[in-house]
Amino acid sequence: MPQEVIVKLKNITKRFGRVVALHKVNFHVERKEIVGLVGDNGAGKSTLVKIIFGVHAPNEGEIIVKGMRFRRLTPKKAYELGIVLVHQERTLCPNHPIWRNVFIGREITKKFGFLDIDKMKALAEKALKELGLTKMPVETPVKFLSGGYQQGVQISRAILFEADLVLLDEPTSMLSISEVGKVLEYVRELKNRGKSAVFISHNIYHVYPVADRFVVLDRGKVVAQFYKEDLTVDEVSHIMQAIARTGSLPPEYKKYSAS
Amino acid sequence: MIAKKSRLSIREIFGHYKLQTAITGILVVLWIIFTLINPKAFGNPYLYRSMLTIIPFTLIPAITLTLIIISGEIDLSFSSVMAVGALVMALTWKALGPNFLVLGIILGLLAGLVAGLLNGVLITKIGIPSLIATIGTMFFWRGVVLVVTNGFSIPLAEFRGYPVYQLFVGRLGGVIPAQFIWAIVLVILFWVILNRHVFGACIYYIGDNRLAAKMLGINTDRTLIILFMIHGMVAAFAGMLPTMEMATFWPQLGDIYMLKSIAAVVVGGTPITGGIGTIYGTVIGAIMLEFIETGVIAAGATGFWIRLIHGLVIIVALSVQGILRKEEILRALESRLSLR
Repeated sequence: MPQEVIVKLKNITKRFGRVVALHKVNFHVERKEIVGLVGDNGAGKSTLVKIIFGVHAPNEGEIIVKGMRFRRLTPKKAYELGIVLVHQERTLCPNHPIWRNVFIGREITKKFGFLDIDKMKALAEKALKELGLTKMPVETPVKFLSGGYQQGVQISRAILFEADLVLLDEPTSMLSISEVGKVLEYVRELKNRGKSAVFISHNIYHVYPVADRFVVLDRGKVVAQFYKEDLTVDEVSHIMQAIARTGSLPPEYKKYSAS
Repeated sequence: MIAKKSRLSIREIFGHYKLQTAITGILVVLWIIFTLINPKAFGNPYLYRSMLTIIPFTLIPAITLTLIIISGEIDLSFSSVMAVGALVMALTWKALGPNFLVLGIILGLLAGLVAGLLNGVLITKIGIPSLIATIGTMFFWRGVVLVVTNGFSIPLAEFRGYPVYQLFVGRLGGVIPAQFIWAIVLVILFWVILNRHVFGACIYYIGDNRLAAKMLGINTDRTLIILFMIHGMVAAFAGMLPTMEMATFWPQLGDIYMLKSIAAVVVGGTPITGGIGTIYGTVIGAIMLEFIETGVIAAGATGFWIRLIHGLVIIVALSVQGILRKEEILRALESRLSLR
């Protein structure tokens, strides 16, 4: 059955000087779908989500969000379109309390730009509660939080702002094993709420449990695409290692080739 | 779990105000020491009145400088901008006469605004680090003042009796200096902006994690340019006050306030690395520095001691802060581990 496409990238090319980070990449995310974007370091995964979020402008190609076409986006525009980025370099201000961090760039104001602090605290509390993050009061500076909790604070923005698409850029890469489990629970919770997500990781064992579909990037190109039903986690791991080594899909899996 | 929650929030609140308590404590200790050394001078209200006269000259530029330092930037040029603002005011008054006092003040403020705009553009659009950019503009604006005045002072005594003049440096009820009232108004205004307005929130986020602020859609360049413009205007205003108080414009105006204002901010607990800081701290810092200056002289030491004791207080205050911060880092680590 055809699903509504939230975001579609068409023939996106991005160059940094003479380095081609992405070459004619086509990519899309459907509603209620979690896409695992996997590949080795330097494959272009982060560049791809940064283009969706408007941090980078593509050199060629177009971005289609909910049927609207764009040459490029800005973070502000992306935010307005219902896209939230959970970033590996952490989109948090460590010295500031949880409630302020939830609302960075999207503060609720009264007249003349004065902050509605009570309302922000109450809403932040509610959104965090829905993810089960009730251990720490919302006045706690985020530097007092564990890594998983910090990712949870970022993910709560998606719930609060009714985002449709959450971009998770290596959300588990710096976490302990027990915390990875918690972040995966948050991602499942997003899916239960009908939201879509792009989950970037170079560790397939983190993505596999939550993703519906996988896209493998290598050296700026999409080399493979498949659904979770198609392959076991060990097969995916095997394919990824082969691609990282040889730059191409092993012959026995040719039917999953993107082109 | 509830017990844990409330315990942590009390610790949080204590942690939040610990620094302010510490600097206020240092000020009180200083006051007690000075009073013990010279009870006569420190029991005399005239001493406090004279402090109210001069504290605003250090405090007013330090208020917006606090915001600049919180944003992770620095401004060294404001001392020269103080002179530029006062010079534009003095020249306008001299040229047009006493009917144009207000115009002179407005033009002076505009000059400060332009100087701030230049700083902001150099730092954000051209990408010169603020430390270097504002050393450049510091020399440039001081040079402009020296070239225009040929190094001579401009006497302004003839304007002294006018009501506008009195509005800025008169004595309220014959006692309280008007500039002190201005300082209080600006402290409240910028406290509100910093803590209750979205502009202040952006300043904090830019200083704490600029990349995050940018990623989340805050226009960091525009925020910083506006901040530098406001700071330029406040600096120009701060330059006009001593000019009016002394009824003379002098070309070195502002020089002594540069390091004193920066010292007031850092003694007040705003780290030079940005992201955190309070206006309350800056107020205490400015009072403390003037207090030492007055106190050292009232205690009978020569003026040569002032620098030595200033230096000592800065070292002690920053050491206390350093120790408190280290404790906080340990607490953060402890809390993160216990959350796992």
